[in-house]
Amino acid sequence: MEGKMDEAPAPKRAKIGSENPSKPIDNSTGNTMSGFKRDRHGNEKRFNNGPRPAPKPKVAVVRNAYTPMFEQLRDELDAHHDRRDRLGKVSRDITGLSKKIVRTISPDLPPQIQAEVDSRLAEISKLLATMAPDVQGINRYRYSRSLMCLEELAEALTFAHYLKTQTLLKPDELSAFVEELTRKGAVSEDRDKDKDEPMPDAGNTPAPASGEQETTDNDNKLAEKEEQRQSKLEPLTMSTTEDDYFYGVFDLSGEMMRFATTSTALTGEMAGAEDERTIVEDMHELGSFFEMLPMKAGDRKQWEKKLDVMRQSVRKVERLGYDRMIRGSERPQGWVPDLTADQPGDDEE
Amino acid sequence: MAPPMIDPALFDQLKDNIEKDSSIRKDLEQIIEELNQNVSYTQGVLTKIHSTPRSKYPALLSQVESGIKKELETTTRLAQFASQYPYYKYNYKWGRTLQDAIATVLLHAWLGGMGSDSKPGEVGRLLTLEEVGHVFEVPVNLKDRDAFHITIEEYLLALISVVEDLSRLAMNSVTLGDTELAVQISGFIKDLHGGFQMLNLKNDILRKRVDSVKYAVKKVEDVVYDLSLRNLIPAKDAQ
Repeated sequence: MEGKMDEAPAPKRAKIGSENPSKPIDNSTGNTMSGFKRDRHGNEKRFNNGPRPAPKPKVAVVRNAYTPMFEQLRDELDAHHDRRDRLGKVSRDITGLSKKIVRTISPDLPPQIQAEVDSRLAEISKLLATMAPDVQGINRYRYSRSLMCLEELAEALTFAHYLKTQTLLKPDELSAFVEELTRKGAVSEDRDKDKDEPMPDAGNTPAPASGEQETTDNDNKLAEKEEQRQSKLEPLTMSTTEDDYFYGVFDLSGEMMRFATTSTALTGEMAGAEDERTIVEDMHELGSFFEMLPMKAGDRKQWEKKLDVMRQSVRKVERLGYDRMIRGSERPQGWVPDLTADQPGDDEE
Repeated sequence: MAPPMIDPALFDQLKDNIEKDSSIRKDLEQIIEELNQNVSYTQGVLTKIHSTPRSKYPALLSQVESGIKKELETTTRLAQFASQYPYYKYNYKWGRTLQDAIATVLLHAWLGGMGSDSKPGEVGRLLTLEEVGHVFEVPVNLKDRDAFHITIEEYLLALISVVEDLSRLAMNSVTLGDTELAVQISGFIKDLHGGFQMLNLKNDILRKRVDSVKYAVKKVEDVVYDLSLRNLIPAKDAQ
């Protein structure tokens, strides 16, 4: 055995991602939750989003008096889990598309960029339509944890609306727009190419049909709506809740801050200055609006965290405004403000 | 002059909704606290099963029943209030308490309570989810409309609590000289364990609690083993 002690023993475990993976790792969706199991040779165990794999062979269970009951309960639970998984998957897709829209848009889009945004919106539209059947009635809130995409979508749509109109989209307008998106998505599934119905522009949100408040009114009208739908063969729709709106707008403030930063750097002017209301004022107005609102119960931690981030965005834009005022026109184009410097006279935490 | 960024009417609208939501939660918390107290009392009475021979069950079970009656009254108030709002918006607030209430009903029935003229109570009876719904006078596993109801998860979690209680009773019934009951409990728990194994569980609270059923099985198997070693198994139940 001499001489063998000098060598480190060769590792027995296969390295992740090496030799003979049956498929390369797919990072294109930026999906951080796309882990899949591998067997001990490093080969993926992948089901390709196909039908639920057969339950692992269990030790043969002797049937007893309670077996039928458990079989029934099992089927119900399986249906619920399947629905949740389906929704989660589509939600991730919608989130990705919404993020892309946010990154792409700006005021005065050139036509080809606008076309890109429109096609992403059309894609979202179709995806919403696929979700709608699974989130009707009682299921709408049941699966809210699988519907985080609606916050992202709210952020994208409120941001687009702001860039176009310099106003804050209202919750009724947002939910009407998303409902319309869903409806159009269902319709476009039925017709191959529908050139007659243009996709609604992200910035142009239609007026709400009525100032309908969500929660209780919606629930009582569900039965009514279902009847109308069936008689007209209207597609099933879904929409945003007030919580989706709140958290979307919290995130909107961050986008506005980023927009203020880049537009100031590019143009040397505070965004919105020509219209007498600058983005600094808008951020102030938005920030104070949320500071004045009572905190949402049942969600305190999340609300406080988001509020805190919003405050920081407001501070950053304030800084931009100040710098613009102080330096005025002496600053060349392309100058980037230094956001790491302390606020004047501020001893922050 | 450009219009303001935010519609002035929006603030009051959102503020009102947030305040309404807070007030709903406060009211719910009050009702749930009351249900909690009803449940605690009933659970307290049920602890006496570990020291009460079966011959004395009728008196004990009727005491349990009076506790359950209070639970049912409070649950009805909860159901009426909660049904005004989306079920899944607030259900996490009462889930645990409701589970415990269901467990008291299940245990009461298993010990021979919950009898009616058409169906007298008997030891070993497991109420189904539907039967539990009838007791509480609420729907179960509701899908076609949005209202208060009992869910499958609540039923199963309650059942697991009952299993844990019964495994303890198996031991104590031997002490009380009731080996027949111990054997019946053992068979019941093992049957249920088989049932739970059929579920396709995800990594949630249900899976964690289902694991505890395994320990209950072991406990009752130990009890039955001890009994069989000493030939204490009643003849007609010998397996």
